[in-house]
Amino acid sequence: MVVFESYRRAVSSILLELGERLEDLVVLDADTGRSTGSLAFGKKFPGRYVNVGISEQDLIGTAAGLALAGLRPVAMGFAMFLMRAFEQIRNTLARDRLNVKVIATHAGLSPHIDGASHQSLEDLALMRSIPGMTVVSPADFNSTRALVRAAVEDHVGPLYMRLGRDNAVHVYDNEDGFRIGGLRVVRDPVDIVIYAVGPMVGMSLEAARILETRGIRAGVVDVYTVKPIDSATITRLSTRTILSVTVEEHNTAGGLGGAVAEVLAEAGAGRLMRIGVHERFGTSSKTYLDLVESMDLTPREIAAKIESALATVGR
Amino acid sequence: MRGDGAPISRLGGGSSPQALRDLVSSASSMLDGAWALFEDLASNGSAWHVGSSRSALNIIAVVFGVWIPHGRDLGVKRFGLLSKGHASMALYTWLAASKMIPVEELKSYLRLGSRLQAHPEAFKVPGIIVSTGSLGQGLSIANGIALASRIDGIPREIAVILGDGELDEGQVWEAAATASSKGLSNVTAIVDRNMTQHTGRTEDVKAKEPLDDRWRSFGWHVITVRNTFDEIVAALEEASAVDRPVAVIVRPRS
Repeated sequence: MVVFESYRRAVSSILLELGERLEDLVVLDADTGRSTGSLAFGKKFPGRYVNVGISEQDLIGTAAGLALAGLRPVAMGFAMFLMRAFEQIRNTLARDRLNVKVIATHAGLSPHIDGASHQSLEDLALMRSIPGMTVVSPADFNSTRALVRAAVEDHVGPLYMRLGRDNAVHVYDNEDGFRIGGLRVVRDPVDIVIYAVGPMVGMSLEAARILETRGIRAGVVDVYTVKPIDSATITRLSTRTILSVTVEEHNTAGGLGGAVAEVLAEAGAGRLMRIGVHERFGTSSKTYLDLVESMDLTPREIAAKIESALATVGR
Repeated sequence: MRGDGAPISRLGGGSSPQALRDLVSSASSMLDGAWALFEDLASNGSAWHVGSSRSALNIIAVVFGVWIPHGRDLGVKRFGLLSKGHASMALYTWLAASKMIPVEELKSYLRLGSRLQAHPEAFKVPGIIVSTGSLGQGLSIANGIALASRIDGIPREIAVILGDGELDEGQVWEAAATASSKGLSNVTAIVDRNMTQHTGRTEDVKAKEPLDDRWRSFGWHVITVRNTFDEIVAALEEASAVDRPVAVIVRPRS
């Protein structure tokens, strides 16, 4: 059973708390505040909220200026449209190492009704390719709150955080133990290890339970820091299991699958299967789960793919 | 915290006219030196975007040699952003002429390992607080610095130097609308209207005229001057008294 929580409610609630404490926190949005959840911050702290209108490139530049002046800006928007500002993020935030946190909502398949134009399946790949960029993708409500707090309060420098909409699959019962740069072994791997990110952490946990009923002991690792990736832990876990799997709501090229493939290939640490969205765009769907199912990303399908892959590697 | 959303008034006329006259006269003589260094550099094999730099040198001399130091007399933090980063020949020869970098160092321009990058990078040379080179982005950054004053109450003014070809970038107009919508009277855009862009005359590539009206229609106050040191000094002085963002359009002398 997967239980859905809201990423945007999580980010909205923690920003309100941080706003009380941090007088230099400024939240910017490109006219999507009603949807991202940033508008609540704007209502409580109108003097520290900037809606630049529907202009993502201007959003990133304005946030850069606020950071240059010594304030602590958080720029929010839809993941897909923030990628219009890839170059501004690369050329200004990353090159000058400015302390701007870019928090994207509506990533992946989460805007299920909106269709392909809004379903960002490439943002991890783009952000991961930028030198010095920190890339974070929390799994659920509690970890989103914890990681937004860590990003805003403790992390200095450019950071991209990928959030969905209301498709956070519940994993954690509290906010403890998350840090920028970390990952979390949610279920200990014995036969195989599943590296998952975002809502696919919860989906993979459910898949692991299904696999257990078939006698396959699958572990699940929440790779919430996609960059810099904890390659030592990944190498160690993959070396002692017979199959590594990545599961993400993202194109398998360049995202978590790409990141883990790079680690394992260089370490010679065994075989990898990448599960995600392969070389295609999204589509409109009345429900999120229907869309996820059409992409073969439900727990049942994840489990089935792993089971058939195991048949080929031998156990 | 101010945070009241009120427009930020410019701090003008707070210093003695003599202080400004002294700055103008010293910058003006350093500018003569900069022109000599510029022509040297242009003829010794390091010529790069010469036309763009030639039309930008007076502007750079006024912004960095008069306007920014004058801000110190007025008690306001002033920043100059070179959004048209390819005018680096003008920036570096100005910095050398004003003794902010050694004249000798101009020889390293464009060479591997030099801090004199083709497009200026943040904090490698004095006065450059943000890296540029990709066009169209400086005005948004200026707006962000300007907005900070509304939040932390520290008076700041920003002059951003834009090319006319650069105005083809849509982000400039996103930012122009932001500045007027937010009432950022502490932002001045200086447009180097040299009538030329990479492949030819601006009006042949993508028309910019009526340029003054374009800025006005975005809610900006416009001051048009010819490309002389004195006229640019006067324009920035005049801009100080305006309660809206100001575009100073610097047109060719003849």
